[in-house]
Amino acid sequence: MPTKQDIALIAHLMRRAGFSEPRADLVARADKGYEAVVEELLHPEDQPPIDEELMYRILPGYEGALGPPISQADWMFRMVNTQRPLEEKIALFWHQMFATSNSKVDNPPEIGRQIAMFREYGLGKYGELLVELAKSPAMIFWLDNHGNHDGSINENWGRELLELFSLGVGNYTEDDIKSAARAFTGWTIAPKIPRNPLGRFFWNFEYKPEDHDDEEKTFLGHTGNLNGEDIMGIIVDQPASPRFLARHLYRFFVADEPDVSSWSSTPPNDPAAIEILVDAYNESHGDIRAILRVLFNSDFFKTSQFARVKSPAELIVGTVRMAGNYEGFRPGFNNLALECAWQGQELLNPPSVEGWHTGAAWIDAGALMRRVNFAAGVLGDISHPGVRAIVDRVQLQPNNSAQTMVAVCLDSIGPLQVSDTTLKELLSHALKGGELAWNTPEEISSSEDRVSKLLALIAASKDYQFA
Amino acid sequence: MLTTVAAGRVFDYSHCIGMYSQSGQGFWTPQDFVLGKNGRVYVLSRGVEQLGQRVSKISLDHEFQGQFGSFGGEDGRFIWPRSIDVDQDGRVYVSDEFTNRISVFDAEGAFRFNWGRFGTDDGLLSGPSGIAFDSQDDLWVVDSLNHRVQRFAKTGGFKSNFGQQGTEDGSFEMPWGLCIDRNDDIYVADWGNNRVQKFSPDGKLLVKFEGTSNGLGSLKGPSGVAVDSEGDVYVTDWGNHRVQIYDADGRYITTLVGDAQEPSPWTQTYINANPEMIKARRRADMEPEWRFRRPVAVNVDADDRIVVLESYRHRLQIYNKLKDYQEHSLNL
Repeated sequence: MPTKQDIALIAHLMRRAGFSEPRADLVARADKGYEAVVEELLHPEDQPPIDEELMYRILPGYEGALGPPISQADWMFRMVNTQRPLEEKIALFWHQMFATSNSKVDNPPEIGRQIAMFREYGLGKYGELLVELAKSPAMIFWLDNHGNHDGSINENWGRELLELFSLGVGNYTEDDIKSAARAFTGWTIAPKIPRNPLGRFFWNFEYKPEDHDDEEKTFLGHTGNLNGEDIMGIIVDQPASPRFLARHLYRFFVADEPDVSSWSSTPPNDPAAIEILVDAYNESHGDIRAILRVLFNSDFFKTSQFARVKSPAELIVGTVRMAGNYEGFRPGFNNLALECAWQGQELLNPPSVEGWHTGAAWIDAGALMRRVNFAAGVLGDISHPGVRAIVDRVQLQPNNSAQTMVAVCLDSIGPLQVSDTTLKELLSHALKGGELAWNTPEEISSSEDRVSKLLALIAASKDYQFA
Repeated sequence: MLTTVAAGRVFDYSHCIGMYSQSGQGFWTPQDFVLGKNGRVYVLSRGVEQLGQRVSKISLDHEFQGQFGSFGGEDGRFIWPRSIDVDQDGRVYVSDEFTNRISVFDAEGAFRFNWGRFGTDDGLLSGPSGIAFDSQDDLWVVDSLNHRVQRFAKTGGFKSNFGQQGTEDGSFEMPWGLCIDRNDDIYVADWGNNRVQKFSPDGKLLVKFEGTSNGLGSLKGPSGVAVDSEGDVYVTDWGNHRVQIYDADGRYITTLVGDAQEPSPWTQTYINANPEMIKARRRADMEPEWRFRRPVAVNVDADDRIVVLESYRHRLQIYNKLKDYQEHSLNL
């Protein structure tokens, strides 16, 4: 039987490596032991995937969707219903790091295909992922590599590859950017069939040797007739690469950090943790799964509970997974996608190539109001099966005190650690109604109402905003 | 191939109809259609989320005659509409997999009544998908999530059913579309078992249509089925983006993959209004546009014209089954 601490640690792991889950699922995971759960998460291929044929039979408009909210809804469905939570989370991670935006690409299913590539390659070798990224038609269009020609280079992809996707500012020269651009000439998109009036068509990567610069180039001290794969091979062996990637991983999975734009002048909050991740990168030759194994089993991870502000996607997906109100096929996943956008994270449409600003930047007056209203609305609704289960758990307690109600509710949503101030407020509210009673229909109705209001209050607390 | 010759049959591509639209002329993720009286065709769009659900009234020569229905759970509205048919009085019936209802409209689209509710007992429904009338004007409904087929009077009274979940003969795994031939035999697209099964009206299995051991005639998630006047059977092989054709005994004949090399007039109008699109289309390999993408329903009219509906391309492709085809005589 797992202890309360065991369950709390598993809950922490799931909030980071996946999404919040109902307490019963956390207990089942905790029964297996922490390290076993980490391994299970690291091997999504051992769990059944989303059945896409079934999904597109029931939700046919999701396939090759014409409007952005529908492709976003497609991803929302997967995040909410996946049995492979880390597969979706790592896709979200790479979408943040390799931000590609529909504002320019204007083909949401094509960006969705990039996300599918992140699912497939996202836990593999970093170098292989970078090559796949360079072949992603959405990325090629986003960073203009289709306009990067032999004798007339466009540096956009080469520059962002080094600045934001791999090494970081200060670890390359302008000449390296030019050489990278030259090496990726000829990496382009085959002529596209325009969208409408017969729906979307996927784009195809095309290598055009006649448009590739075959001359000698020097890139980060390496000279030769370099092509795109050579560039990626050199990048992943640079000392700056693991350090840059480690900082991204730390910021996404462990604790809030400053935004990427300041990394050249702002040291990491926990340099020792970064060193551990760098060592894992070097020992595994850039194997993401191996690095994450080290990360999730580390003390710095286990002690980082509630050290990150939830992204909108984490807040929304975790909340509805706990409430169980979006389990399986049903209309309305576009509403979750729109909610995510209104809270500041429009999936498939990050604000720039730098991705979203995270941490406290997720919170402004408008976004906070939406986050609170959403979470309180969902977790305060007793018609949702997950909320019903919490109410039933409260009812089954041996005593009906307000203190017990607060303790059980906090334990069921998380378990959530709250500040003394929050706890005092919750108890103050709960004590006003006295003990719960479950003897008559009127008492049951009144007690259920009190529990649901308390759950809404907890969901509206500052503490619930943290992962 | 615009003309497919196989086993003494000739299937000749004729034309296509349709384009994407949220409303008005065009369809959005259409799921089924029915060839009604006086050349009218009713096309059922599922739309996506809260938009696009409707029945379009058209003719096979590109005339858009109007639409009815919209998103919602109220009378006359749809959430997950799946199948459509007309009774002998010309009334239009639409199944809805989400509301578990059959909605009934007059020929012009005025709502009349609906019936059906969720459950597993005889006469109750869970995810009603394909529907078709028999010669007695009884409505057969694929009760998909109950893995069976049920027969109702057209006002909703339960009459009979057969089938259960499973992989053995006569069982189903989330069956989808169906059709009824002139003998009142019932063909069911057994989606999860990758086959079509033909039954007598009392539920006796007569013929199976599926791939042979070497893969010939194989199916992946069949969605719809139709029978022509000579007994040939057409199956929309949804998961493989093609139409498989079998003879009456279940022997595979040939495959259609879609041939819409010329856009429909509706589509062409849209293209003509966008010079940039014309430019882009002249550079691209357009073959993916010709081919079926998620063929979801098929019907055969009185002249043995085979009409295939594509969900993903929002379009109908029409083939003639030629009876007087002559091979070219010159050695070209």
